[in-house]
Amino acid sequence: MDLIIGTLEQGLIYAILALGVYITYKILDFPDLTADGSFPLGAAITATMISNGGNPVLAMGVSLLAGAAAGLVTGLIHVKCRVRDLLSGIITMTALYSINLHIAGMSNVPLFGMTTLFKNGFVDGVFGGGLAPYKTLIIVLAVAMIGKLLMDLFLKTKAGYLLRAVGDNDAVVTSLARDKGTVKIMGLAIANGLIALSGSVMCQQQRFFEIQMGTGAIVIGLASVIIGINLFRRLTFIKATTAVVLGSILYKGCVAAAISFGMSANDMKLVTAVLFLVILIAGNWMDRKGEPA
Amino acid sequence: MKKVFAILCTVLTIALMLTGCGGQKAENHYTIGIGQFGPHGSLDNCREGFLLGLAEEGIVEGENLTVKYQNANFDGSTTNTIAQAFVSDKVDLICAIATPMAQAAYNAAEGSDIPVVFTAITDVELAGLTEGNITGTSDMLPVEDQLKLIRAMMPDAKRIGILYTTSESNSISTIATYKELAPDYGFEIVDTGVATQADVPLAVDNLVTKVDCISNLTDNTVVGALPVILDAAGEKNIPVFGSEIEQVKLGCVAAEGLDYIDLGKQTGRMAAKVLKGEAKASEIPYEVLKESQLTINSDVMAELNLTLPEDMMSRATDVAQ
Repeated sequence: MDLIIGTLEQGLIYAILALGVYITYKILDFPDLTADGSFPLGAAITATMISNGGNPVLAMGVSLLAGAAAGLVTGLIHVKCRVRDLLSGIITMTALYSINLHIAGMSNVPLFGMTTLFKNGFVDGVFGGGLAPYKTLIIVLAVAMIGKLLMDLFLKTKAGYLLRAVGDNDAVVTSLARDKGTVKIMGLAIANGLIALSGSVMCQQQRFFEIQMGTGAIVIGLASVIIGINLFRRLTFIKATTAVVLGSILYKGCVAAAISFGMSANDMKLVTAVLFLVILIAGNWMDRKGEPA
Repeated sequence: MKKVFAILCTVLTIALMLTGCGGQKAENHYTIGIGQFGPHGSLDNCREGFLLGLAEEGIVEGENLTVKYQNANFDGSTTNTIAQAFVSDKVDLICAIATPMAQAAYNAAEGSDIPVVFTAITDVELAGLTEGNITGTSDMLPVEDQLKLIRAMMPDAKRIGILYTTSESNSISTIATYKELAPDYGFEIVDTGVATQADVPLAVDNLVTKVDCISNLTDNTVVGALPVILDAAGEKNIPVFGSEIEQVKLGCVAAEGLDYIDLGKQTGRMAAKVLKGEAKASEIPYEVLKESQLTINSDVMAELNLTLPEDMMSRATDVAQ
């Protein structure tokens, strides 16, 4: 039972990351590696603000804005300097390593015993007694749901429509007299804002910041997006954003299952790769079965 | 069909997780979880020593002890999953090797009454792990002894080079200690930071031109790239001082360092006390290994034309024999 709660917590925190990756990878069709740098950016800012007695929710807000700024930089490099999408993300990610180290001051910042989103006067008062073990889960669920609902609302607006257009067929955007470069930049900013927010929540949940906690963030995000989108492709009543959240939970579930089976953590990446492949093949196979003969 | 497939996958995953839960407890049979941050000589030695220490106190694997061992492969998010798995398995004790693993274990075990015993953490206060149901041993390096050793072997040397990884907070605090004590022995410390192992060759080529010798810390990435450092330093006849016996075996000239097996044994003995209920982890303050061990490599010393005074030679272990 504890393992299920733990997995759900991790899955929901990374779901916010996955929503950001969904925007860049699926909607914008832009493989954005900035994630490996913006995830710890959110965490670094949060760690510094909380160590100095700052308000956790304010820290989350600042992290979101900082992540958006990082996405903005990647977008500017790509659009204005005409650098390839993959490389722009790599440039920003590499720069962010040093920036994060400066922001946090040290490569490892513990937050034990400090006021965080999960451990403060308000929360302790509301979640007394029986609900206490589920406290983190409920808070994380609330944050993930708010993020997801805001994204759903945004995608229904004109700006959201432009975002989807730029990924599918950017001629549509130009025909609407809008600059597709600006739309891409906006998309990258929103996505990395979400990713940094996810990093902020992660840092508060695990109660320490580690400079390398972003390594592989993009892989986790992609895995969640691909699992979610492919697995729930035919269940049209499930929105794409919901599918991505579920994909994140499932991915973490698979990792937890592999570990509780006693599988060596050495094989974890192999398991991830095999899982990816199986899901993608299954998705393709299901598609072909649906096609007319 | 497709709906069934999706739902089946979800149910399967949840079922797999549930089978992982739960465990049995026999009378006086202990189950512990050992979480190691990554595969690495010194950390492996800690683990071996830990099990030896437990065995000394009568807790032997296979007889009255079940060990669940997991290695996080230097991946931060895996440490969290490993720690959570141990807690949900309701192990009697978690042994966490290295700082990120210990922090993840401390976080996961809070709220349960599972004690955490750590080892191979250099700066325990910096890691924030001094309070709570947690205790263990620190591998704080005997910096002063190392400086004495370098001075004894190289009476005219002025500059000591230190290579470290920017992501290792343990290295940063050890370098601060070095810089504090070095002037007492007439040394100046020149430190170069790298971000990944790939940066080491260039950094070391640059460093050897500026210093008289190099000293190692317990920095995982740098120690992993030791052969490269030894090659570059060897070409310029610059001695490299290690921090541990394995490094001297590889080619470092000498080390005033820790025996990680001893450190592990000390940790194992502490853990045995907690398991047997003789003391609570929250009551035991963390310990530091007091005795440093002097190791030398006489082959390398001969190549570099270095000698050591008799009183130090007599307490040294020579790996070249």
